[in-house]
Amino acid sequence: MSWQVKTMAERTGDLLPGSPWTAVLYVLLTILAVTAFVTLCGLVLIYAERKVSAHFQCRLGPMRVGWHGLLQTIADTIKLLLKEDIVPRDADALLHILAPVLSFAGMLLVMIALPMSPSIQVADMNIGVLYVTAVSGLGVLGILLGGWSSNNKWSLLGAMRAGAQIISYEVSATLALLVVVLFAGTLQLSGIVQSQETGWWIWRAHGCGIVAFSIFMIAGTAEINRTPFDLAEGESELTAGFHTEYSGLRFSFFFLSEFLNMFVLAAMASTLFLGGWMPLHVGHFTVFNGIMDLLPPGLWFTLKTSAVIFLIMWFRWTFPRLRVDQLMRLEWKILLPIGFVNLFVSAACVVTGFYFFAG
Amino acid sequence: MSDESIAAPEVLPPPEKHVGTGGAVTGAVPWIDKSGAIGGVFKGIRSLFSGMKVTVGYLMRPSTVITQQYPENRETLKLPDRFRAQLAFNHDDNGYHKCTMCRICEEACPNVSIIITGREKPAVSKKEIDSFVWRLDSCTFCNTCVIVCPFGVLRFDGTFESSVYDRRLLAYTLNDYAGPVASVLEKIEDPEARKAAMEKRDPYGAHTIIEALAERQRAKKAATHAAYAAAKAARIAKKEAAKAAAEAPAAEPAAEAKDVG
Amino acid sequence: MSVNVSTLQARISGESTASSPLSTEEYFVNMGPQHPSTHGVLRLVLRLDGETVRDVVPVLGYIHRGIEKMGEHGNYRQFVHLVDRMDYLAALSNNWAVTMVVEKAAKMETTDRIQAIRTLVCELQRIQSHQLWWGVFGMDLGGFTPFFYGLRDREQLCDIFEKTIGARLTMNYIQPGGVMYDIHPDFVKDVKTFLAYFKSKLPEYDTLMSENVIIQERLRGIGKLSAERALALGATGPVLRASGVAHDLRKSEPYGLYSQVDFDVPVGTTGDCWDRYWVRMEEMRQSIRIVEQLIDNIPEGKTFMVKPAAKIKVPAGVHYSHMETPRGVLGVVLVSDGKESPYRIHCRTPNFNNLWCIGEMATGGRIGDLVAMLSSIDLVIPDIDR
Repeated sequence: MSWQVKTMAERTGDLLPGSPWTAVLYVLLTILAVTAFVTLCGLVLIYAERKVSAHFQCRLGPMRVGWHGLLQTIADTIKLLLKEDIVPRDADALLHILAPVLSFAGMLLVMIALPMSPSIQVADMNIGVLYVTAVSGLGVLGILLGGWSSNNKWSLLGAMRAGAQIISYEVSATLALLVVVLFAGTLQLSGIVQSQETGWWIWRAHGCGIVAFSIFMIAGTAEINRTPFDLAEGESELTAGFHTEYSGLRFSFFFLSEFLNMFVLAAMASTLFLGGWMPLHVGHFTVFNGIMDLLPPGLWFTLKTSAVIFLIMWFRWTFPRLRVDQLMRLEWKILLPIGFVNLFVSAACVVTGFYFFAG
Repeated sequence: MSDESIAAPEVLPPPEKHVGTGGAVTGAVPWIDKSGAIGGVFKGIRSLFSGMKVTVGYLMRPSTVITQQYPENRETLKLPDRFRAQLAFNHDDNGYHKCTMCRICEEACPNVSIIITGREKPAVSKKEIDSFVWRLDSCTFCNTCVIVCPFGVLRFDGTFESSVYDRRLLAYTLNDYAGPVASVLEKIEDPEARKAAMEKRDPYGAHTIIEALAERQRAKKAATHAAYAAAKAARIAKKEAAKAAAEAPAAEPAAEAKDVG
Repeated sequence: MSVNVSTLQARISGESTASSPLSTEEYFVNMGPQHPSTHGVLRLVLRLDGETVRDVVPVLGYIHRGIEKMGEHGNYRQFVHLVDRMDYLAALSNNWAVTMVVEKAAKMETTDRIQAIRTLVCELQRIQSHQLWWGVFGMDLGGFTPFFYGLRDREQLCDIFEKTIGARLTMNYIQPGGVMYDIHPDFVKDVKTFLAYFKSKLPEYDTLMSENVIIQERLRGIGKLSAERALALGATGPVLRASGVAHDLRKSEPYGLYSQVDFDVPVGTTGDCWDRYWVRMEEMRQSIRIVEQLIDNIPEGKTFMVKPAAKIKVPAGVHYSHMETPRGVLGVVLVSDGKESPYRIHCRTPNFNNLWCIGEMATGGRIGDLVAMLSSIDLVIPDIDR
């Protein structure tokens, strides 16, 4: 079965063939689509986190607003929008205001590269993986600025922790990504998905895939500042870390970008290691593959991403936090060597063609 | 550290049953053995997974949810008999109480949350209660009043929803009526006379009593202040008069004294 | 807080202990009085070199209510309910400490039933207090879920207390001359149900926290307190025992029915955070043992030896008595002039002394360690200020 890949850019081209307004329309449509998606996704994620954490902890979670608290997040959003927006007197006002925007922008920019189904992708760049890695680094700038400009020592500590942590873990995350790039032979995200037509890289690459997936999950969790790596916020240590001084709308920007970063991480993990929108295929077993194809690719993507998101939530609601020096030790002394070895081994696998359904 | 020279105090000799070594008594300390680098990592990861198994166990079993849906379960929510929520008077079936106004509870209360006023003109007996005022706003729910009462008049009941919009309403009059105790009332045979001896009391009317008391105290204080000020003024006047009287004849001796100095 | 400022200034002028050539400046941070992991209104002034803690100065007095002074204005029975508010997680132990000194001074007789009930409820409260501590400990280390599990199991004990005593936190149950009420008819059954339940949950506590590699890494070798320093600083309770000193008043000067029950005193070896953690975990198991031995053998007898309204007078003089609360030794000094109310009453509370160990432990650690240390001391701030 061949998949007709069509990105939003091409669809816009179809709407107005040959018109000079195509680019403008494309940008407008992109903004609309991404904003709508981000809002919806944020609502769903926050609700899911509340419910999942509640049931981990023998609670019910929100139950009052709407059926089983479905509208709770909307109520909270309204509350956050209506709250007074405070910029501390001694804060660097410009940077203080800029920080949440930067943090949010980093997440938004990644969104456009994610292939959610053959027909749902805003832009299919031929350097997709590189783009995602580069742009997601923008988020740390927001966190650093936010912590620094708040003129609060706790915030500064949180920001410095975040800076050290995110930049360190990006190394490991990238090494894990490179494993898949090696196997797939392309940096294009849709290409990587299609390279998994005979099976997902997590199991096709013998041990390399699962090791890379584990490293990517650990490093990714650290990059998005979630427990057990939530040192930048460190509720019990730094009160709220880099966003101690933020309130109202600006706080909600940080909050939302944190949640959507979780989605981005899960989407990337499922795209690279779990086949993205590609159904579960095993080699060339046509019958099995045909049964799997009955589910639409968009649903596959959603299921995989949800599973990974659940895994991240599961981490968060089980583990305590690491200490700052242990965090660095984990990265530089454990993850990084493993990542390098794994990369070399997978390079050898690729050269020798030693993986399932090669060629 | 300068005080390192302080010798360790003599540690109490451990009694026989003391366990003086290790941390473990009933079970081994669950150390993760990190002797082998690789093995240690795997054991560490396994410990993480076993923790995750515990949490997901609760997620999978919604029956383990322990939170109560409070306003909805009002019907079934029963607090234990002894629960200290709202102080109440024990009235018998006829609606009579046994409070003789002995004021033991008032004295026992640690923070003056009980104020008892007597009737100015008792109808039947020598002393009759007018209002038994209980201030929820200052009560610490220590239960002392309940256990000291010799007649078992007071009890704590489980009515815990006592929020009001005006904090003055947090003072309650506990007795239903002002009047004599049950035993005296039962001796009166004429129902009309019985009714005449009793006077209804509004449970939420207590703040007027408290305000009246406070007003009386303020007046007393003001009177004390006025008396003090008057006394002071008199004293000053007296002193000045004495000074004036002393100055006239004392002028010359003062000059003499100066010469001497 | 002028006193503290001068203390701090004296410390600032001291030579910088910054180790790295990159570090340029040490700085001060106020941890508290509003901070999630000081569990109340404790204020710690930290001198930091980056993430490393160079010095900790606790600043007290934010919740000073003058309980001792208030005690001088009421009678002894009225003072008992005030000490509920000192260490609110061990209200019964506080009650008993005051009761004990009054009974000892006034030479009041008690029955075995009274002592058995007191011992039982205090041990149950020790479990309850340690359950809350366990949950909060998990939360301070960044795991939120243990908090709910700890509180969930604590709730069972709260319900038991609610039935017998009528209150959940500030109980005012143990009174000079007895206990306020006899135990509820359901008490024995409920406690047995709870013990069976809690014994099945304790392994879960271990799986979730004790055996977790992150917890072990974060606690092992952190915040060491030597036995000598612990004794010199006056630390008591699990903090002292974790340092290797087998000091437990329940053993060395048994009160209540502790001389009749069989239990061990868990003792640590190095005095690090892990030892304090594990000593408390073991203490819960030991308390279960004590309760199990007593619950079926509550002797018959009176539960109140004097009339509740009877006036208690203590002979003139200085009286002292102490006991082991979940956090350490609570000693009560009572100076009496023979009247109905104490002339002076002073409580030597465990948390006050345990708090000062933080300065000893924290120097050289990280901020994350400091939180773990604070939590491993298990502070209750109103007990420090009183």
